[in-house]
Amino acid sequence: MASMMQPQIILLKEGTDTSQGKAQLLSNINAVTAVGDVVRTTLGPRGMDKLIHDDKGSVTISNDGATIMKLLDIVHPAAKILVDIAKSQDSEVGDGTTTVVLLAAEFLKEAKPFVEDGVHSQNLIRSYRTASTLAIEKVKELAVSIEGKSVEEKKGLLAKCAATTLSSKLIGGEKEFFATMVVDAVMAIGDDDRLNLIGIKKVPGGNMRDSFLVDGVAFKKTFSYAGFEQQPKKFDNPKILLLNIELELKSEKENAEIRLSDPSQYQSIVDAEWNIIYDKLDKCVESGAKVVLSRLAIGDLATQYFADRDIFCAGRVAEEDLNRVAAAAGGTIQTSVNNIIPEVLGTCEIFEEKQVGGERFNIFCGCPSGRTATIVLRGGADQFIEEAERSLHDAIMIVRRAVKNSTVVPGGGAIDMEISKYLRQHSRTIAGKSQLFINSYAKALEVIPRQLCDNAGFDATDVLNKLRQKHAMQSGEGASYGVDINTGGIADSFANFVWEPAVVKINAINAATEAACLILSVDETVKNPKSESAQGDAAAGAMGRGRGGGGRGRGMRRR
Amino acid sequence: MALAFDEFGRPFIILREQDQKTRLRGIDAQKANIAAGKAVARILRSSLGPKGMDKMLQGPDGDVTISNDGATILEQMDVDNQIAKLMVELSRSQDYEIGDGTTGVVVMAGALLEQAERQLDRGIHPIRIAEGYETASRVAVEHLERIAQKFEFDVNNYEPLVQTCMTTLSSKIVNRCKRSLAEIAVKAVLAVADLERRDVNLDLIKVEGKVGGKLEDTELIYGILVDKDMSHPQMPKQIEDAHIAILTCPFEPPKPKTKHKVDIDTVEKFETLRKQEQQYFDEMVQKCKDVGATLVICQWGFDDEANHLLMHRNLPAVRWVGGVELELIAIATGGRIVPRFQELTPEKLGKAGMVREKSFGTTKERMLYIEHCANSKAVTIFIRGGNKMMIEETKRSIHDALCVARNLIRNNSIVYGGGAAEITCSLAVDAAGDKYPGVEQYAIRAFAEALDSVPMALAENSGLQPIETLSAVKSQQIKENIPFYGIDCNDVGTNDMREQNVFETLIGKQQQILLATQVVKMILKIDDVISNSEY
Repeated sequence: MASMMQPQIILLKEGTDTSQGKAQLLSNINAVTAVGDVVRTTLGPRGMDKLIHDDKGSVTISNDGATIMKLLDIVHPAAKILVDIAKSQDSEVGDGTTTVVLLAAEFLKEAKPFVEDGVHSQNLIRSYRTASTLAIEKVKELAVSIEGKSVEEKKGLLAKCAATTLSSKLIGGEKEFFATMVVDAVMAIGDDDRLNLIGIKKVPGGNMRDSFLVDGVAFKKTFSYAGFEQQPKKFDNPKILLLNIELELKSEKENAEIRLSDPSQYQSIVDAEWNIIYDKLDKCVESGAKVVLSRLAIGDLATQYFADRDIFCAGRVAEEDLNRVAAAAGGTIQTSVNNIIPEVLGTCEIFEEKQVGGERFNIFCGCPSGRTATIVLRGGADQFIEEAERSLHDAIMIVRRAVKNSTVVPGGGAIDMEISKYLRQHSRTIAGKSQLFINSYAKALEVIPRQLCDNAGFDATDVLNKLRQKHAMQSGEGASYGVDINTGGIADSFANFVWEPAVVKINAINAATEAACLILSVDETVKNPKSESAQGDAAAGAMGRGRGGGGRGRGMRRR
Repeated sequence: MALAFDEFGRPFIILREQDQKTRLRGIDAQKANIAAGKAVARILRSSLGPKGMDKMLQGPDGDVTISNDGATILEQMDVDNQIAKLMVELSRSQDYEIGDGTTGVVVMAGALLEQAERQLDRGIHPIRIAEGYETASRVAVEHLERIAQKFEFDVNNYEPLVQTCMTTLSSKIVNRCKRSLAEIAVKAVLAVADLERRDVNLDLIKVEGKVGGKLEDTELIYGILVDKDMSHPQMPKQIEDAHIAILTCPFEPPKPKTKHKVDIDTVEKFETLRKQEQQYFDEMVQKCKDVGATLVICQWGFDDEANHLLMHRNLPAVRWVGGVELELIAIATGGRIVPRFQELTPEKLGKAGMVREKSFGTTKERMLYIEHCANSKAVTIFIRGGNKMMIEETKRSIHDALCVARNLIRNNSIVYGGGAAEITCSLAVDAAGDKYPGVEQYAIRAFAEALDSVPMALAENSGLQPIETLSAVKSQQIKENIPFYGIDCNDVGTNDMREQNVFETLIGKQQQILLATQVVKMILKIDDVISNSEY
């Protein structure tokens, strides 16, 4: 408002939103803190879920930080950075998305009083960077390797990591059940990097415990034509032919036209077309395949033809599923039925069509290469299964990271407390302002155990003090103590198997520090008015900075 | 909804269309969600049990549905609230998985939410309530496993199956002929069941309905019923020992799929074309005749010319038969679906002992019965009734009964109905609750109380004194340590559900408890609702 009263040199287009200086920095920090507050309550085993309607009216119920941040539809430029770090954490390690947002918000919150007091933000940034390097080194030092254990032992350890991730989710009640399932699935695909080899299929109905793992591929029965029910539905060791062609009576060339001058030739054209399709079908049969899958349609003619010859077929199989069948059964997807050599046919021990809830599923198990796994999820409501899928995704990512990077750290806030202690000790060795900044960085790290307590309704101050005491012990035996969510006291997280892969923590600290530094280094925002919304913002601009009105105006036009 | 303000008190724009969004958080959000869930449960509460009432629902196009089936009611209500939608899905899940008990599961979830509200007021953390519920549900399910009874049945002795189906049907509008309907359902399931694999494909049971007649006229046909008649009125109405050609190609001259044009520039060419067409018809009919078909069933239509020809050659035919029916006919008669006349061979014909066309009452409507099939693995239940709504509701009831019979074939354990199972679970959970230290104990006890709400609703709907009846039954159960006592809804004079023959499937009951607990946990776990204000 004040700017309107002064004579202005017009430098930028009218309606451009600019704000600068310390005020801008502080308001950015405020915005970030506000966003951090939204996801704050989802942290930990006693964290709550959010129900978010988006503008199309669809609804998501989730506990996953990245999902929530994405759905909040944040437009504030500074706050958007938080969305990005949540996303990057999600794609990098898959879990700890809430943690990273929370840490970034807390770092900034701790920096705020310094900024208000006139500290140059570059000073803060430098100290924060140092602190994060030290913290990461400390994590690496504290991490315990699970390398070199036997497969069985390793599986058990990995299941512990998965269970820690799952404990904060909706399916936390059955975390052991799902943790084992996830570990089995990840172990099944081995070293392969492709995440899509683990399929998750959702079938509403049933309870969580009815979920099961298929050591192969499973997918929902595709649309079928008359005659399908007459095909056999179970094979032992069938040959599987995978196709990417249509098996349907259709015009071979789209734009071709046939001109006949002699009506008696009519029949020959008809026959020719039929011969083409019969030829294709014959070749499929000749190949010896008992199961024919195609990504494109398999028409009614082909369905009946296969039914006559005791062959199972399914058309319009999703590409993803087909690829997984190819990977599991060892076949190759063919784009022609000519020249089918036995090598391109896949096989599996048992193929079966089975009833799962209200759906029928095609299940291939006991595949020779065994590099795929499918988790069939069951649950009482669509929202429930959606959220369960997101949770399992997190758990799968965690296990995969842990397999590759096999070091773990104690969870439940224990590692955060230990780093905090270490940084605090370190800061005392520094002369100058940096001491204060690193100290506040250390304090910010305590937000994890504090929030865990807050969410569970415990006395955070009390628990934190107990933890500090344990961690301050000279012998170092208290280093793995964290919040005990069941009793409201403290416990040795390591002994209680609350484990996280070290990489989650490292990435979280890194990303959160980066984001905090980025926001601290911004002292001016220039926001261009949307080109087509010149009128709306000009009017709103006269009112001040084009705040609510501008926001709404944009939204409506976009629709 | 404003999340933050700057130092001048101006709100930030953090979210898109921020001021159009509303946010409900903390205990308010939980209370609002619980209220929504309870509201849905309240609607269904009066539909529970043999004396439960029906709901009449009018759709947006003015079509009316009258139903007692929880899943159907909720589906038709078209609820908008998210939490209410969860309840709808809950009911649907039960329907998909079990097919019965769709009302009970919602009533149960409603009761759990109601109890949770009380615990929230006490200041217990919602997740601890949910965890307590989970523990309790496990106790209840294990307890059910213990008290469940197995019964033996085989193809000839299916009385227990009928009894269980009758329990399901007794709460429906069709309960006056529940005995006969239950028998029909059980026979139908047994006819298509694969008893060795314990698998039943319900797709093989076709449920057909036609307005008119009485409910008592409902019958089970070991074969297929098609709502079609012969293509020509003069064709024979009854064919014995029929050999059926099942065709998916029309009685028409074949057309190439590629775009084509026939240039006709002389009269002779036109003549040849016409002749060829006629020849086609002739050949087609001849082919059918040659392989020995005595009936043609066709997915498509045919020309008047073909129709006439068929009539002339004394080959009865049915046209426009849907794909699904065609498939069922093929399965039942052991025939193969033939996509082309050239492929017709005698082996591909389906065989049926009797095909007859039957007309109903004074109407002109006729249906085609295909009976005494080579393979009776496909059956039809043909429902008659006074009006369309009645038939629709009967269809749904029969579906429930079929599902129950199927579940029993999969797992032949039963528990006793009439609220008996809930009461004994309630007692078991209550007793188990005391063993748990910590806040969960309260939640477990609340779960036990919530379990009581099902028998309570049963008693209420039956016009009994709910509290008196429940406490009497409960004490009786404890005193005699027998889990068979339930609510005597029909005023038979005994509380012993064994004598009343009121059974429910074990898996159905377990599923109810687990599903309800799951959904309640999901609702309790939400503490923040962000929505556009129009919702």
